[in-house]
Amino acid sequence: MSALYPQTEALSSRERAVLNLYAISALAVFLLLMLFGLAMRAAQGRWINISPQVFYQLMTAHGAGMVGTVGLASSAIMWFFLRKYVRLSTAMFVANYLLFLLGAVLILAAVFIGGFGGAWTFLYPLPVHTMGIWSINAAAVFMLGYLVIGVGFLLFYLDAMLAVMRVYGNLGRALGWQWLFGGTIDKSHPTTVVASTMVIIVNTLGILGGAVVLVMCLVNAYVPRFPLDALLVKNLIYFFGHVFVNCSIYMAVIGVYELLPRYSGRPWGVSRPFLWAWAASTVMVLIVYPHHLMMDYVMPHWMLVTGQIISYTSGLPVFLVTAYGALTNVYRSGMRWRMPAMLIVLSMFGWAAGIVPAIVDGTIAVNVVMHNTMWVPGHFHFYLLLGVLPMVLAFLYHVAGGSSRSLETAGDRLSLAVYLIAGLAFVGMFLAGGRASEPRRYAVHFAEWLPYDRAASIAAALVIAAMLLFAIRISGALLKAGSGEKGSGEVPAHLPG
Amino acid sequence: MKRAHAGLAAGLLPVLLAAPPLQRMLEASMTAQMLVQIPLLAIAGMLLGKSLPESAANRIQPWNRGGATGLIVVTFASACWMLPLSLDAAVVSPAADLAKFLTIPLLIGLPLASSWPRMSFVLRGVLLFEALATLFRMGWLYLISPVRLCNSYGLSDQQRLGEWLLMAGTALLLCIAWQLLWGSPKAAAGAAGPPGLRAGRPA
Amino acid sequence: MRFLRTSLASVVAAAAGIAALAVATYGFTAFTTETARRVAVSRHPVPVPAVVLENQAGARFSLSALRGKWVIVDFVYTRCQDQCAVLDANFARLETMLARPIAANRLRLLSISFDPGRDTPTALAAYLARFGGRSPGWQIARPVDAADLVRLERVFGITVIADDDGGYTHNSAILVVDPRARLIEILGWRDPERAAREILGKLEG
Repeated sequence: MSALYPQTEALSSRERAVLNLYAISALAVFLLLMLFGLAMRAAQGRWINISPQVFYQLMTAHGAGMVGTVGLASSAIMWFFLRKYVRLSTAMFVANYLLFLLGAVLILAAVFIGGFGGAWTFLYPLPVHTMGIWSINAAAVFMLGYLVIGVGFLLFYLDAMLAVMRVYGNLGRALGWQWLFGGTIDKSHPTTVVASTMVIIVNTLGILGGAVVLVMCLVNAYVPRFPLDALLVKNLIYFFGHVFVNCSIYMAVIGVYELLPRYSGRPWGVSRPFLWAWAASTVMVLIVYPHHLMMDYVMPHWMLVTGQIISYTSGLPVFLVTAYGALTNVYRSGMRWRMPAMLIVLSMFGWAAGIVPAIVDGTIAVNVVMHNTMWVPGHFHFYLLLGVLPMVLAFLYHVAGGSSRSLETAGDRLSLAVYLIAGLAFVGMFLAGGRASEPRRYAVHFAEWLPYDRAASIAAALVIAAMLLFAIRISGALLKAGSGEKGSGEVPAHLPG
Repeated sequence: MKRAHAGLAAGLLPVLLAAPPLQRMLEASMTAQMLVQIPLLAIAGMLLGKSLPESAANRIQPWNRGGATGLIVVTFASACWMLPLSLDAAVVSPAADLAKFLTIPLLIGLPLASSWPRMSFVLRGVLLFEALATLFRMGWLYLISPVRLCNSYGLSDQQRLGEWLLMAGTALLLCIAWQLLWGSPKAAAGAAGPPGLRAGRPA
Repeated sequence: MRFLRTSLASVVAAAAGIAALAVATYGFTAFTTETARRVAVSRHPVPVPAVVLENQAGARFSLSALRGKWVIVDFVYTRCQDQCAVLDANFARLETMLARPIAANRLRLLSISFDPGRDTPTALAAYLARFGGRSPGWQIARPVDAADLVRLERVFGITVIADDDGGYTHNSAILVVDPRARLIEILGWRDPERAAREILGKLEG
């Protein structure tokens, strides 16, 4: 077995089929939702004309869909690497996919048949104050879709939790907490297990928050005499939403830990700072969400201050150990600069650079001015488009590429260059627009803002072109690898080239 | 606990709870009925399950693989006793009260005791997760409801119950989290996950 | 088929569970006693017992004496500081809105006290005067026999519990008794206009 494709990661034909389902569905949905995004930017630039109702339907589908699909794709990364160390059930991984599919159908039906346009955050009371644009039922179906998706992830995490505990005894030991204050660290303790366990804990709690608030919103939708406290609902929604999105990053980072050392040829093991970073983030990711509510002046003051301080420090530990680890891992390593390696380095850059606008927005004094501007989509697109998505693409390029180097053509590299440059331009237009007070939603754009919107549209089209090529190349390779194996049973997926 | 002791306790507990002064006291407050009387009745059912001979449990086993049937029975029986109108009925009508004293041990406690050891970790996880979410949702609902949901109880009682439900949910969450993070590695490695009713039973 | 019997049992259990919930909630329409008894009464009218009452003038009469007339009933106690005041303010509006059938001797309003120990005819008269109620269109009365009060409360679905301040917490409704002395409808007490519309509809129907 080659160093890049260890035998322990070989896929059975059934596992390969499931992974293909995840990968190809995610790529297809990414493309579709990117087109929605392009349509929104083009409409803001007045190049195309869509009604406000359709705009907010697109925005709702784009937001809900991207958050969910990034979660789905990165859960595939976690599954792929975690199953080397613990015994995961393929059935639960399939169940997660099927429930996700069902949830996605419900959400799309709510949005495009029911007309729901209350944004992916479904902030109370907007979903139930429909003003005749959508029905209560549409809002309910949308929330039901979230619940179904949450159940899928819950099953996946519970299965992973059991598997981890069977090997490591309890979650504390899986996180390496026995080594936080001393003792000899077992250098072979997998980074993947640490990151996966953190995600299992944190996202199960996030889903619990979601399960409570979603059902309460559903009850209120049909029995309005139970009046919800809008601020409490918002707190819970951002608790659950923030945790879910962050877990997508943390699941995708597993791919970085696993793959980068193979391409650089240097091992990347656990260390005390690494364990401390993940321990700290486990706690902080749960309490940082108030930084989404800094404009809510009725929030308790201490929560907002906590939100600001923790938002500076929350992402930082894991980010620092990862980015610093990646740098030292790559530096003078004689790196094999293949597509996965390049995408990983891009993702490290996207994650690092994305932190700057995030910290700016996480500052109360700035936030009260900037939060309703394009600055905010600017910062989270930075993370997601240039950070998490390249991690997902790196993983898929790695798995699909095999050792044949068929995915290492000039076309792939050109697409990557286009993706990077157009992605930066796209995100830059959000940030520049935000600086120019361009509102992020529910507003008509002044003529002064149109250049940003139009430049962003062009950049978005280029990103989509690059993404289309990635999707075709990856899907083609995945399907080819699958069909080449037919009838050969449990043959390892990646034979040395 | 020995089987005979469990059986004795299972028999005594409902009788004790049915004793007029205690029954009246526990049903006088919504909080006591929901958080003391009903859980104790469920525990009586669980003890009854423990006192039954293994052969009885084995005979139902083919009908209750993985504890699936038991879980469904428990879910619906709990749902019925979570309806405010059921709590009211149990206070006002002796027939409904009798139904409560029979169905909670027999349809919640007993199936829970006999199904829990058969449930997979994932199913137990889903059950506990749903139990937690239900505690938080009901607590929240009772706290915000501007109207009395039970004719037999006042608004302040209802809101106090809401607070207690939220506290119960938090306590349960902390217990589970503690067990998962620091629990005995042996119990988890034994595939069962959080030690439940199987604990104390010879393997 | 290892799971055949379990699947079968699960389906049966789920069906039984759904059926039980459906029965308990009147087909998933009622989750509280208050809603449940409204649904129940509108489906199956309840005969009203012929108990003897004493009204604000000290006159005793049997509920059966009101047979042949529509009777709109509510339950109050005169010391009530909150709910009853709103309820009977709404009753006063009903008296105006239903003036025509009252004048035609087809309909009566009747407030029944569930605190007969304290609500003497004098207290009842003062209470009725406070809301501008005019006999015989609207009278207020107390049950003479304590056992009758229990019967009335059961039939009309009124639950009275002592509160912390020496008063009572109780549920309220506008209760519609038809000329055959049957409780046929329970209406919400917060919306007298709607109640009047419904009552007039029944009178014509």
